[in-house]
Amino acid sequence: MATLLPLIGCVFIAFVVGSNDTSNAFGICIGCDILKFKKALCLFGPVVLLGAVLQGQKVMKTVGSDLLEVNLSILGVSLIVSALLIAFSNWKKLPLSTHQVIVGSFTGAGMASGIPVSMTFVVKIVLSWIVSPLGALFSAVLIYKLMEKTLSRFSVFRIETILKNLLILCAIVIAYTTGANELATVLGGAVHAGLFSTTAASCGGALFVFLGALFLSPRVIETVGKGITTLDPYSGFAAQFGAATSVFIFTCLGMPVSTTFCIIGGIVGVGALKGMETVRFDLMRKMMVSWVAAPLLSFCICFIATKGLMFFPKGFFWV
Amino acid sequence: MLKKLLAPGKKEKAVIEDLTRHIKLLYSGLDAFERAFRDKDRDLMASIIDLEREADVIRRDVISNIYEGAFLPYLRPRLCRFAEVIDCVFDLLEDAAYQYLDLVIDASIQNYCTQIAALNERMCEMLLLSFETLMGGGDLRDKALAIRVYEKKVDDIKLDLVRDLRNVEVKTFWDGKALSDFVSSLTSVSDIIEDASDYLQVINVSMR
Repeated sequence: MATLLPLIGCVFIAFVVGSNDTSNAFGICIGCDILKFKKALCLFGPVVLLGAVLQGQKVMKTVGSDLLEVNLSILGVSLIVSALLIAFSNWKKLPLSTHQVIVGSFTGAGMASGIPVSMTFVVKIVLSWIVSPLGALFSAVLIYKLMEKTLSRFSVFRIETILKNLLILCAIVIAYTTGANELATVLGGAVHAGLFSTTAASCGGALFVFLGALFLSPRVIETVGKGITTLDPYSGFAAQFGAATSVFIFTCLGMPVSTTFCIIGGIVGVGALKGMETVRFDLMRKMMVSWVAAPLLSFCICFIATKGLMFFPKGFFWV
Repeated sequence: MLKKLLAPGKKEKAVIEDLTRHIKLLYSGLDAFERAFRDKDRDLMASIIDLEREADVIRRDVISNIYEGAFLPYLRPRLCRFAEVIDCVFDLLEDAAYQYLDLVIDASIQNYCTQIAALNERMCEMLLLSFETLMGGGDLRDKALAIRVYEKKVDDIKLDLVRDLRNVEVKTFWDGKALSDFVSSLTSVSDIIEDASDYLQVINVSMR
């Protein structure tokens, strides 16, 4: 039971990451017909695995060891609560960051069970959640300005070809950070609780991300990809590349940050560049509410669930 | 390697080649019209109808290639619209050619029509230059300005043409309608070429 629950949680969340985050990476490329879905999937799977294997350890260590010393019981409660919250948010179509839910759950379960939680790392992680979308915003503005200065010299058809190649490059970087950051956040606890080795977790996690992308992502991509392409290509690329740069930097620092929030930061950046009236503040408010509510909600639910489970005799569930 | 990366894809290349061929064909059509009208060559005038059919095939190829995924979605509707505008000029030219074959043009308006046909041809030549400049990455403004100047000239000639047309005696309503339709088609060509030139400008600035 103690190993089965975290395993189910990991598999489920990795599957959801695959279904939702493929659109972050390849949504625009597929929406624009630069890549067909099958080709994008063939690129996405291996690149996610590469990201998890090459750079996933840092984020895994932050989530599974630096924040708190995760054990199997905390892992089980946290991942099951996270999985249920993510499933609920997907069902209700509410924007919820996997990172925030997992970190909130670990912190809640850890505090309830009396395991010391590093407040320094809590502050660092929360700060990175604030700084990463802002970083994406400024990167997007910078990239947009840079493109205006350099690309505009070429002919319109050459610009189009260059943008297509850049969009593929950007998709690959985001797929890489999905493995190195998003998947690493999901697996960090399981690896440091001794459930899997880093390599096994990375391979297994990447496989389920791939399966999630294969079975559930086409509809999400259709919604996101076709919606985003109404942005002009410069803005779309600048927003996405700004986000990719920001997530990559935070991955190098070992901080779990959300690609979705960074892309939103990037879109706000290029939107603001063209006039604040283009920014949809109602949507921003909704995202802000989710940004604050997701970690708090997962923290509270995990705290209460852990306290409740601790009433059972030791060994029944609690290790 | 870098050259290959920066080169347009197969579908994009096909669309660009087809659009170039489309404009060149229009130029040939307008040139044929001008010569046929000047020399009263009815066979040459009839050949314009075949050119219009050929242009239809090219437009269909352009649109199907774009539909299959050539270019980014942002450019697609603009390029489709450009191909349709060129086709619109062909339709007007075909209408004018058809009407000409059923008409005897009065000598008093012959000169005006020849001038307009020659200006239409020059406008199309300038449009072709504009498209080539668009592909090369140059400035289209001077070409667009030249097209606008030619269009103004056509408008001025049209005023005189319509004034003199009122004095032309027509025997039946249908003869008069055919003549009026002929003049209307011939003088509208320049407006649509100007629209095509404006579309090229929009395409040029849309990605910058």
